[in-house]
Amino acid sequence: MAETWSLEARGLTKRYGGFFALNGVSITLKRGEIRGLIGSNGAGKSTFMDVLSGRGSNLGGEVFLEGQNITPLSERARRRAGLARSFQKTNIFPELTVRQQVELAARAAEEDNSEDVLRELHLLQYADRKAADISYGDQRRVDLALALVGHPKVLLLDEPAAGLTMGESLALAHLLRDLAERWDLTVLLVEHDMEVIFSICSHITVLHLGQLLTEGTPGEVRANPEVVRAYLGSAAA
Amino acid sequence: MPAATVNRPMPRKRLSAFPFVLIAIAVFGCILPTAVNSPLLLTLLTSATINGILATAVGLLIRHSGLVSFGHAAFFGAAAYVMVLALERTGISVETVIIAAIVLPTICAFGLAFVMLRVSGVAFSMLTLAVAQACYELVMRWRELANGEDGLAVKLPNRVFGLAVGVFQRPDSMFLICWIILMIVLLGLWFLGRSHFGTLTLAIQDNEERARFIGYETTVPRAIIFALSAAVAATAGVLFSLYNGFVTPDTLHWTLSGDALIMAIIGGARSVWGPALGAVVFFFIRDAAGGYTEHWPALIGITLILVTVAMPTGLSGAFALVRTRFGGARNG
Ligand SMILES: Nc1ncnc2c1ncn2[C@@H]1O[C@H](COP(=O)(O)OP(=O)(O)OP(=O)(O)O)[C@@H](O)[C@H]1O
Ligand SMILES: [Mg+2]
Repeated sequence: MAETWSLEARGLTKRYGGFFALNGVSITLKRGEIRGLIGSNGAGKSTFMDVLSGRGSNLGGEVFLEGQNITPLSERARRRAGLARSFQKTNIFPELTVRQQVELAARAAEEDNSEDVLRELHLLQYADRKAADISYGDQRRVDLALALVGHPKVLLLDEPAAGLTMGESLALAHLLRDLAERWDLTVLLVEHDMEVIFSICSHITVLHLGQLLTEGTPGEVRANPEVVRAYLGSAAA
Repeated sequence: MPAATVNRPMPRKRLSAFPFVLIAIAVFGCILPTAVNSPLLLTLLTSATINGILATAVGLLIRHSGLVSFGHAAFFGAAAYVMVLALERTGISVETVIIAAIVLPTICAFGLAFVMLRVSGVAFSMLTLAVAQACYELVMRWRELANGEDGLAVKLPNRVFGLAVGVFQRPDSMFLICWIILMIVLLGLWFLGRSHFGTLTLAIQDNEERARFIGYETTVPRAIIFALSAAVAATAGVLFSLYNGFVTPDTLHWTLSGDALIMAIIGGARSVWGPALGAVVFFFIRDAAGGYTEHWPALIGITLILVTVAMPTGLSGAFALVRTRFGGARNG
């Protein structure tokens, strides 16, 4: 293998009882790439993030981070190795202040850029408030900050813009693209909003019913009749 | 956002008054024995302080892990029995025995934690109760070891840590020792609460899964908190056995665990000093009402109900609330 992928996954599988929520999905991300991951509700996008990040049991397949096999590692060890994630359902520390939790995450990563992250995500003015006391949109950015802090190599972002207005989502998307470039991040981004995806991703992966449907540039994906039938047909404007 | 940075509230400022308030209270306590001439009152205060340390241990566990122990007498009594048995059966120096009486229950707690912390909520409380009752039954049944319900006298040498043994058994001097130890414990726990480790344990209590996803192991920190809490309870047990000079299975009984929990709830476990305050209130109610009626526990019960209904965060929580409400624009 000539090239070392930033993130590589082979044959990822996850079962809930007899039901395959994810069935043999593979993916490779180039360093610095922002990859879009799309698919209809229940396609298995969040499950894909779970398996990559080591959440839960019944997992199959292999995950490599910059060539290192991280499959046997726990979620904690994967984060320490540089694979960070955010959550679709806000998953933060409600009783801690915003700064406390971001600093805690930075400390685990042994690279304290928490002030930079708070500033970039416009969280400074809430930094000393309890996370439970700030608005939903701000809590979403705290979730993102917990993943972003400490210079991870690869970021898995599960609908970071969920619940934001159109304008806010686009602003967040451009901020992400900007940060990915400046901080040398590789990003796998799940997002329902096609405008956001098409504006910042060079490549897109499409999941359908737990399987890989196709992969390609925004143009290719948009032109793919299967994708249109399975997903874009309803969502494309 | 430079303006926001300037206007940022600074909750740490207010908190840093704590060590000075604590020192003031410590000094106040130290002059108390000279000011108070009643040995009765000093006896009461000494017992309240020892129980306050036990309640502080229960509160520590609640605050940093969200777990309610119904069996902290196990560590208190274990320390007391290590004292009495080691002094009777071995030739080890009393100073070493005292250290062992704190360290052994702490190590046991650390090991037990890996089993007990698998469950939470009521199941955890029941487990702590079961462990404590098992210890109680052990000393009750195994008469050759611990002389059953009759208990054992602590065979103290003439000097302990260079002090005449009487110093530990007279209320005025023992009150001073217990008071200072309580203050040291409170100060230590206050530093713990502000430390990185303290924040981590709060985070784990808040959202254990996310704590793992930001890169932390979560079982060992929880076990450490449980062990620390046991160490504080054991310290109280050591002080008790020094002061009392006699140890019975009552030191392991569930009523002692229950009383400590009630003290922690009355005082409020959210603050470091709440449970100790609860102990003082508890003892004064018991003393005041115990003179008139056998049914003083009912009065404690009523107090407990009033506190939990009217001030769910206990006396210390109510105090903090009053202070933020009337103390101007301090928030945090
Ligand atoms: N805990 C669970 N138990 C059983 N089935 C589950 C569980 N979690 C997810 N599933 C199922 O797995 C499939 C994939 O779910 P997943 O959350 O990965 O979809 P998704 O693509 O993220 O959808 P969405 O766009 O709604 O977030 C769905 O059919 C879902 O019902
Ligand atoms: Mg999802």
